[in-house]
Amino acid sequence: MSFRTIDELEAALRDADYLPDRGLSTALFLALALEKPLLLEGEAGVGKTEAAKSLATALGARLIRLQCYEGLDVAHAVYEWNYSRQLLHIRAAQEGTVSEDELFGAEFLIRRPLLEAIDSEEPVVLLIDEIDRADEEFEAFLLEVLSDFQITIPEIGTIRARRRPAVVLTSNRTRELHDALKRRALFHWIGHPSIEREIDIVRLRVPGIPERLAAEAAAFVRELRGLDLSKPPGVAETIDWAMALNALGRQEIDADVVQQTLGSVLKYREDIEAIRDETLQQLVDAAKAGSH
Amino acid sequence: MPERGDAIVRHVVTFGRVLREVGLEVGPGRTIDALRALDAVDLTRQEDVYFSLRQTLVSRHDELDLFDRAFLAWFLRAPVMPPARSSGVTQPAARAVAVPVDRLEEGADEQADGDPIELGASAHELLREKDFAEMTPEEFRRIRRLMQAIARLRPRRSSRRRQADPRGNLIDMRRLVRRSLRTGGEPLERAYRSRKEVPRKLVVLCDVSGSMDAYSRALLLFLHAVVGSGRGVEAFAFGTRLSRLTPDLATRDPETAIDRCTEAVVDWGAGTRIGASLKQFNDVYGRRALTRGAVVVIVSDGWERDDPDLVGREMARLARAAYAVVWVNPLKGNPEYQPLAGGMRAALPFVDRFLPGHNLRSLEELAAVLAGIERRHAA
Repeated sequence: MSFRTIDELEAALRDADYLPDRGLSTALFLALALEKPLLLEGEAGVGKTEAAKSLATALGARLIRLQCYEGLDVAHAVYEWNYSRQLLHIRAAQEGTVSEDELFGAEFLIRRPLLEAIDSEEPVVLLIDEIDRADEEFEAFLLEVLSDFQITIPEIGTIRARRRPAVVLTSNRTRELHDALKRRALFHWIGHPSIEREIDIVRLRVPGIPERLAAEAAAFVRELRGLDLSKPPGVAETIDWAMALNALGRQEIDADVVQQTLGSVLKYREDIEAIRDETLQQLVDAAKAGSH
Repeated sequence: MPERGDAIVRHVVTFGRVLREVGLEVGPGRTIDALRALDAVDLTRQEDVYFSLRQTLVSRHDELDLFDRAFLAWFLRAPVMPPARSSGVTQPAARAVAVPVDRLEEGADEQADGDPIELGASAHELLREKDFAEMTPEEFRRIRRLMQAIARLRPRRSSRRRQADPRGNLIDMRRLVRRSLRTGGEPLERAYRSRKEVPRKLVVLCDVSGSMDAYSRALLLFLHAVVGSGRGVEAFAFGTRLSRLTPDLATRDPETAIDRCTEAVVDWGAGTRIGASLKQFNDVYGRRALTRGAVVVIVSDGWERDDPDLVGREMARLARAAYAVVWVNPLKGNPEYQPLAGGMRAALPFVDRFLPGHNLRSLEELAAVLAGIERRHAA
């Protein structure tokens, strides 16, 4: 599936239960139109990973995800040989009848996400999640793959992508990425959504939630973001929390129910401890006032 | 693209030049991307034009502000506001640092072939022990390369990447399988690999408040050398607030580096708010997990102007995420020193190693500690 305008893509994302703002739709649209990787940055929980998943749904493409971590290497990102099968194969065959070519053929190859994405027959969205966690050496290797869309396996040869996968990279900015990688990619910063959009998101993701509850929950989270917290809640937390409130059968929020459910919004003990009694009541009042 | 006409091309090329003038790196590749992007979207929607240009021309979050200002000025003809910073640079501070560095550079060439580390003669021994606060610019020049050598000793961690190593302790399966072919699948000839060691992340927070004045220039030189030792180093200065120095220190020439730092640090030689600065660090950089797995070195005398309790609280947050925390206090060079300052006392429970940093000898000690440091506190 391809999209001729940003509006078309936006509509398809909406059908995939994702409400992007205009900036993100533009970024995803341009990534497809210009066939360039898209680097998404933003605070935790603003929906970076979700954006890639929804793009895959909208495109009718397969999502292949590579989660990065410190020490990620080629064996876990690209391919690995299945050594135990190889050894068993040599033993099972008659002595001297196994050739090296046979041993290092496709049958014994374990495909990891990058090879899967390059070698796929069907359209693919490749999500490279939290690239900033990978080592710099790996980043350099990735840059090569993203330039040529080909992977060389010494024993087999070079595998070229039949069609370029759409590539989305996310980063939490624990370190600066290589300039070369940034030059190659489009860049979009995702901020927290506006209150209206967050209410829309909650209503879309928590079917059947009372309108008032959705509005008050979104407004309360916005109040929280204005405070000095160790980890301000993202959209993901708003959704979790709204689900909890809805499951409790609430029509609106009050100090008691917020107190009971605060753990789904705030993930640090010191943050939860900072929001209690009077502060909590004030925030609830402000949220109610702000949502009407 | 051609049917879009030359006007747009000219517009975008000039806009690229405007962005370069305010400090963004806009190469020809980016300009071409911007033109391709504009070709793909509806030019009558201002929002789409804005995002198309932003997403192709900007690659860093901290450049968004500059871009927005330039976009307003260029496309919407709004009056240009001056960049937010640059007002608070204090002149005396610039002088304090610039003078010794000028002299440092004079002797840099003649120093080039003699390795000062091997000149371990008595004169240099004396220099090693000499308090930074009492050093002349000439003496600073002589210790510069020694500082660089010390800075190269970085803490390391083992990476998951491996390298062939006959004495390694991991089996190299790919080679083992290949060799087993000759022996009917019996892995007689073993091949080994070992984990590669890479430098561990290092974060240095350096106090540049008034009470540290005598040591600031020496420690900045040291910071410059540390940043030059390879990737994975982040350097910050703090007085009443925090400034990130990594980009300013990342130039080869120490003079330029230190000039830039003087400009970047707005509260040079002012008071100290250690707690507030640590909080700023934890909030902004800790949240991005810069601290996680890093060895954090704090260089300060621990004189807190505000609330020592805040120092304790923020040190606790820092220590939880860090691999290890080292506190370097130049005052500790005095044998009679006792950590009585409120901020220092509040910080100490969260410090893994507490070291002096008043002369070269103590920086060597610091380097040795860093090279061998292990996680002491439980995660």
